[in-house]
Amino acid sequence: MAEFSESPKDRPSEISELPDESQNSVSDFDPCTMRKTKPGLKRLFLTLTVLFSFFLGSPFLLKSIEIYRSPLPFRDIDSLSDSVGSSPLLFPCHFQAIFVGFDNFDAYDLGISIKHEMKKLTKHPVCGTCSDSNYTLSVTVDSGSGCARNYNAESTFMWRCGAIGEFDLGGGGDDDGVDEFLGSVLGSCEGFRKVYSVVVVNRGGEVRAVVGKYRHAWIVGGVLEEGMNAVVARVAETFVKVFVNGGKEEGSIHGEFMPVGADGRIVLSFNLLNADPTDWIYGWDFQRIDEILLAPVIKALGPVANISVESQVLYHTPKSSFSYWDEKWDSYIFSTKDLPFFVNSNEWHLDTSIAAGGRSKILQFVVYIPSAKECPLLLQLPNGEISVTNAFISPMWGGVAVWNPPGCLRDSESKHPARHTISPQDLQEVFEIFMGQLRQLFGLKSDSLYVGASGTTNLLASERGFTEWELDVLSRQHTCFNLVSCATTLGSLSRLVQSLPRMIIMDEIGKQVKFSLEAAKLTRSNASLGIYDASAVSSRQARSLAEDAFFHPSIMSVSYYSFEHCFAVYSPFFLPVSMHVLLAAFREWRRYKQETAKYLAWKEKAKVAAS
Amino acid sequence: MAAVLRFLIAVLLFSSIATASLSQEEEEFSEELLLKPLADRKVLAHFHFESKAPPTRTYGHHHRLFPKALYQLVQKFRIREMELSFTQGRWNYERWGGFDPISSSNAKPPGVELWAVFDVPHDLVDASWKNLTHTLSGLFCASINFLESSTAYSAPDWGFQPFSGSLRYGSLPREAVCTENLTPWLKLLPCRDKAGLATLMDRPSIYRGFYHSQRLRLSSTEFGSTEVESGIALDQTLTVVLQPTTSHRASMTYSSDSVLQPSWSLSSIFGRKVSGRCVLANSSNVYVQVERGLMSELKILHAEDEGSGADNLTFEKTWNNPGFELSIAPNRVIKEVNILHDETSIVLYEYLIDNYSNSEPFDLGFTWKFPVVWSSPQAPLHASRFLMGSGNERGAIAISLKATEPSDGLWFADTIENSCMLRFNVFQVVPWYVRVYFHTLQVFVDGKPQSVTDFIERMRISPSEDKVSPGVMEMALKLPCCVKSVTLTLEFDKGFLHIDEYPPDANQGFDIPSAVISFPDFHASMHFLKDDSLNKSPLLSKFQERSPVLCYTEVLLVPLTTPDFSMPYNVITITCTVFALYFGSLLNVLRRRVGEEERFLKSKGNFTFPGVS
Repeated sequence: MAEFSESPKDRPSEISELPDESQNSVSDFDPCTMRKTKPGLKRLFLTLTVLFSFFLGSPFLLKSIEIYRSPLPFRDIDSLSDSVGSSPLLFPCHFQAIFVGFDNFDAYDLGISIKHEMKKLTKHPVCGTCSDSNYTLSVTVDSGSGCARNYNAESTFMWRCGAIGEFDLGGGGDDDGVDEFLGSVLGSCEGFRKVYSVVVVNRGGEVRAVVGKYRHAWIVGGVLEEGMNAVVARVAETFVKVFVNGGKEEGSIHGEFMPVGADGRIVLSFNLLNADPTDWIYGWDFQRIDEILLAPVIKALGPVANISVESQVLYHTPKSSFSYWDEKWDSYIFSTKDLPFFVNSNEWHLDTSIAAGGRSKILQFVVYIPSAKECPLLLQLPNGEISVTNAFISPMWGGVAVWNPPGCLRDSESKHPARHTISPQDLQEVFEIFMGQLRQLFGLKSDSLYVGASGTTNLLASERGFTEWELDVLSRQHTCFNLVSCATTLGSLSRLVQSLPRMIIMDEIGKQVKFSLEAAKLTRSNASLGIYDASAVSSRQARSLAEDAFFHPSIMSVSYYSFEHCFAVYSPFFLPVSMHVLLAAFREWRRYKQETAKYLAWKEKAKVAAS
Repeated sequence: MAAVLRFLIAVLLFSSIATASLSQEEEEFSEELLLKPLADRKVLAHFHFESKAPPTRTYGHHHRLFPKALYQLVQKFRIREMELSFTQGRWNYERWGGFDPISSSNAKPPGVELWAVFDVPHDLVDASWKNLTHTLSGLFCASINFLESSTAYSAPDWGFQPFSGSLRYGSLPREAVCTENLTPWLKLLPCRDKAGLATLMDRPSIYRGFYHSQRLRLSSTEFGSTEVESGIALDQTLTVVLQPTTSHRASMTYSSDSVLQPSWSLSSIFGRKVSGRCVLANSSNVYVQVERGLMSELKILHAEDEGSGADNLTFEKTWNNPGFELSIAPNRVIKEVNILHDETSIVLYEYLIDNYSNSEPFDLGFTWKFPVVWSSPQAPLHASRFLMGSGNERGAIAISLKATEPSDGLWFADTIENSCMLRFNVFQVVPWYVRVYFHTLQVFVDGKPQSVTDFIERMRISPSEDKVSPGVMEMALKLPCCVKSVTLTLEFDKGFLHIDEYPPDANQGFDIPSAVISFPDFHASMHFLKDDSLNKSPLLSKFQERSPVLCYTEVLLVPLTTPDFSMPYNVITITCTVFALYFGSLLNVLRRRVGEEERFLKSKGNFTFPGVS
């Protein structure tokens, strides 16, 4: 419509040029380079309006095709990653050293020298240990009649003076009795805080160091013969290397050796494998083992992992490599170099469990009963000796124990082998091996000796498999690992989300991230208060929520709504249309410039002519 | 008197307690194989494995024989009953029989069929079903997870099984069945296929057969909904119909123009022999079943041979008769007890595998000596289902039921008067994209249209909802016995699917799952003499259970309109092009200068428009 309304106005003006031209008959007016009227702005205005409305409309279009993304707390995630990355998580620890029979020494000086020794040992604090800035050390020198304490000995962990005199420490080598006695003396005043104590008793005789089932150790004997510095070094080493680091060299857990699944669960799957049931069939009374042996361990490990137990008996499960007969041992020998071929994954249907969730960790424990053809079967160490336990572990997979039937006697030549049950004593032995394997899988030592720089220490074993100070170590280390893993996972999630702007993020993911961050925060506050169990539980939660968010199934839909897809849908319209609009605007603009130049040229001419 | 009575009661109580505590507190496993020559020169092999676990309350949850995976499955989803079958091929009801325990409980529709009864509140049943399908899908390496969608399963009320509310039923007719499904199934057996009867399962020979159906049935009383606690029972069966290779002897023709049936042995049909039992099995038996029809033919033959029917009794006990010969003497001959047929009855030859070993493998041979023609017992009605109509728009489903020859007179026994009525149920699930109009249901009796209400006793219909649920039809019909044929027809429109809902090979068409026809008044069961040794065999006790006669119809293939799958992009492109053209031309028209163009034209050829002044 617009062009019809404007054409009558335009035309007369343009047509009027012709009569002007003929009337004036000015020879220097060139219609190709000059014009007498001002060029019109209407068409230029129109095309520019269309162009700008396109520009203005594009945000609305982008808004309308926007993908829903739940807002993620990127800043909180970054600050968590930064704080976890910059400073390792350290716990406050409380130590107590009690010297009995050191009447000539000053408690204050001893405290200073022990602290100095401990500082030497913790030069580079590892995540999950105690920092030298927030531990307390109290030193008590018990002289029988009275006690001398160093200055920061708080009333919360008081040593009852002269308590040791009532008991003959380490007299008859009854370590368990001493342990129980010290436990009752020290445990009564322990209260809410966890205090690690070392009792040093100076008497004649051989020096003996023992770490008990609770949170204390004792050193008995003629300790002063080696000098006071040795005593101090030994006390400091017990504190740092045993109580804090758990008696092992490497401090924190490496990701590939983490026995707890990403959802904080472990399934212990116990399998009894009868290699050839035609020779003999063995069963076990697993119900009893479960109730008596496993239940306390699972309860003790509760803060670190949520553990469930299952069992099965499988038959016709030969191992996949051969053993050879050795006259010297009068048995079949399977050497260590063949161990990778012991587990027969074709025939051993150990199976993942339905009861376990997708990210649970399954640890397989296998009792292998060899067939009559290879009985007795012994495992040989690389140095030619025979393995005492007749078992081996495979890190992150589980453990295998070979159990040879007593006597290796076949039940006559009948076709129907009788059913036997592994005797409770044998089964107990096997499960003690498994307990050691479980400790190894958790990164603890399976033997009862700690050899340090300043001497050998005996470690007492608990009937629950894990002593209290070991559980503390595990709690601390797992808290640290979980927190680091949570921060890494959330960091990767935030990087992924930010790098893919067209990814749908459900509200659920946002919620999981939020809860994960909250749990991580709770972990840090619990850790700073020194509540190991609670911080282990909340760190596990933080890790599992972070993993849930990262592996949320809706994230997979990213490939189905990519930018290419969006481009393919909208380009057939916008490409041709925008070409038209841009070209029109450009042409009009060019024409306007040309016409204006013409007009100006004419004006110049007219001015010259007029003057 | 009273004292005697009291004593008796005490003895009874004591013995029952003793047997209960003895028999229940032990896990059991048994393996059995039934071989049966079929009328059409084929051989049926039916493997039956049964595992039993005592109740968790008394036994705990650690097992010696029962598979851990299935125990966890039952516990996690609170399954009361479940049946999963993988089938390849179709059971030939006419030739292989339709009125015996094997055909009514082991003849299954092609593909995968799954039904389960859950012991959970009714509003949680669907969630349990969905999780169960995913778990089974992982466990058996099959795409059972496609049954998760609510369009794929249904909740029958009474037409399929008598569990209302907590039963879910689904089937995948197109699922291909192969060794990857058999291996996990075998893994559930304590001996797998390393020892015992399962060693016969040579994959090439099994899958070469005409019919192959592996079935798994779980029933548990774990969750206190039933009175008696018997724990969990797991039945695993594999039913195969194989064709024995014909030897040169079989080509010999006899006077009556009939060809001798091919003789077979275990090693000839499976390619393997049984070298001893699975040592964990409580019983390990092989049975050879001779059908009633064959037995009566043999009897006639025998009578001809001997000239007298005097030694009828001894005849059935023999395993070497004029018709066939078994290569090994059976350990026992079991005869069915039938009140109606005192003349002839089913005979089972029992072999105990205990007596065989590696050095002396069990290889049973079955040699035919004379051509015999017989027929198998038939269900009262023979069902078939087909599609009517053409084109991509509408059609009709017809279920045709024909009365079979009442040759053995079995099902007329109790109905001498003319009030004789034949009852049967039809259960049919139709996917939503086949939109069935239930008001168009027509019944043709003996070819003539009849009023629907005259024959239908009871009917429950839940119409399909687009993309939400399939249509389910449960019908109970009653017919007079004299009726020769009945046809039910239903018209339908074919729906349109969304482009995402087409399977990868959309041009093949869509399958309508089999309909189930059941006869609640007829029970396929065998009766044997009460004998303690028979109760030990789970297979025979299964045969003695009263199970209603059941048959499945064919799977229908419905072609639907298949779109051009590049269509969305084509549509987008062409629409956008049209829009762009319109827009561009509008813009061009807007900025057009008509006067200037005219002037330009004129200046080019100023003599062409002399009229302009």
